[in-house]
Amino acid sequence: MAAIIDRTLTSIDTENSDPIDLAYFCKLLFICGVTKIEAPPQVFSKMKDLLLTDPISWDQSKTYFLKVVNGIFEFEPNELIEKNLDFSKIQVLRLKKIRLIGLEDLLIQDYETIFHDLLNSGAHYLDLCPGNHKHCASAIALEWLLMGGQSISCSFGSCNNDANLEEILMALKINGKSNLVGDLSVLREIKDVYERMTGKTIPEKKAVIGEGIFKVESGIHVDGILKNPLIYEPFSPESVGNIREIVLGKHSGQRSVIYKLRELSLSESCINEILFKLKEHCSKAGKSFSDLDLLTLVSEVHNDY
Amino acid sequence: MTIEKKYIVDTTLRDGEQSPGIAFTLKEKVSIAKALDIMGVSRIEAGVPAMGKEECQAFEKIKLTCKKADVVAWNRMNLNDIQASIDCGADIIHVCVPASSLLIEEKLHMSNDAVLEMIESCAERIHRYNKEFSIGLEDASRADWTFVEEIIKKASTLNATTIRFADTVGILSPRTCSHYINQINTEMDLEIHMHNDLGMAVANSVQGTISGAKYIDCTLFGIGERAGNCNLEHFLEALEGQYDFGVSLEDLRKHQSKLEHIIFKNKMCS
Repeated sequence: MAAIIDRTLTSIDTENSDPIDLAYFCKLLFICGVTKIEAPPQVFSKMKDLLLTDPISWDQSKTYFLKVVNGIFEFEPNELIEKNLDFSKIQVLRLKKIRLIGLEDLLIQDYETIFHDLLNSGAHYLDLCPGNHKHCASAIALEWLLMGGQSISCSFGSCNNDANLEEILMALKINGKSNLVGDLSVLREIKDVYERMTGKTIPEKKAVIGEGIFKVESGIHVDGILKNPLIYEPFSPESVGNIREIVLGKHSGQRSVIYKLRELSLSESCINEILFKLKEHCSKAGKSFSDLDLLTLVSEVHNDY
Repeated sequence: MTIEKKYIVDTTLRDGEQSPGIAFTLKEKVSIAKALDIMGVSRIEAGVPAMGKEECQAFEKIKLTCKKADVVAWNRMNLNDIQASIDCGADIIHVCVPASSLLIEEKLHMSNDAVLEMIESCAERIHRYNKEFSIGLEDASRADWTFVEEIIKKASTLNATTIRFADTVGILSPRTCSHYINQINTEMDLEIHMHNDLGMAVANSVQGTISGAKYIDCTLFGIGERAGNCNLEHFLEALEGQYDFGVSLEDLRKHQSKLEHIIFKNKMCS
């Protein structure tokens, strides 16, 4: 069973974070499939009373891993040696516990051969922690796990310039590795706690966890989704704790308008005229059409008759 | 040493604009197209003329504005849509062909044979007006490969110049992307269109490029349906120094920052 290490808490400022939020964040990470959570002692010590009964003496020079063993929380010191990958010295990794960092350019090299060599390097423990300067870190981490890699390190929601936890988990699920993935419907709750702790907002279109990724406007897409959501959604909104929203705009078609009229319990008469005026307005104004805009337009159109 | 040339197809004005909350006026579309043309984008997918008069007017103005880039019109497999694209002067008529059974059976209620027949009708109309014919394999990453090969063969017979492989719902990993692209054996130019649902649009586009795609679809800021499309800036960063895309990162960043207030104007207002 591969290890998925989340290192979000190594990079965010938790000085003013509520220990209950911190502990809840950790519990949710375990639910979605994380196997170890990495953080410095000062972060874990803030919430240890919520997780442990026994006292622990921390080595302040190290980070620690929190894991769950037989339903009990346990800490272990992080003893991984961080190294940049040196292709000429793969054999040197033998018998060591290594975390490979960097790896930004790996996808433009023969990464399958490199992964094969790494898997046969004889390293005692090999964790991959790709950097994201070239925007390919999640893909590199995914391919490592799909090829049989033992461990990856990542962070939630693009923080820390790491591979993205939520992207890797969903990609594993879609690639038939559900045994490595927990319940992803908690991703929404993780996002809420993360935003509360950091004061940062996850971008609306962020893959997997963005608030707006299930908003749909285009007539072609709305038509498909109303027939079968799988046609234009790779995973359901519910599977990541989100909801779908149909938005009206210049790309809307008749089915979208009918859907919205029914949602707002409005008459469906004069549908063609409503659609025409709506699209004309959105094209000229360069913006979407709100429910209030639709209510106003419907009453205008109906009053003309 | 000569660096291999590859080409950017920017679809900010088509797939990018389909992102809810993003809508451009005619003037804004022309401004974006002009900047894309200046920065060296090879093809600009400027929209869907079948949407109506305003969109057609935008196409005509974009065509007059662009000095170098070819202007692409996106079409459903529908003769009226294609006629609208021909009438507004697009250089390349792109026909989006459903490739997966989900699209063909559940959305369009068609048969594979009917799809192949419809491609013939579309090609006939496009060639009658001496326009360049490009075919898109919609949802190719979830399609039965035998049917994908049938479409490719048909496209080749009908003198399409470009075949676009679309990962419509963004489910590929770099290795599966490479696997599919390597399987396409055709003399037509190969174009790739990646979505970012798993955060891998850039990585997949990188692998698709390395595996032989000549044209790469991107959008400014990565805008597009759901989690967006391949982000042009990120794509160029990922392959910096590896290929000549005709677009410099410096120019792109300069133009993109000037266009940010147009592209995200509704978000900024709110």
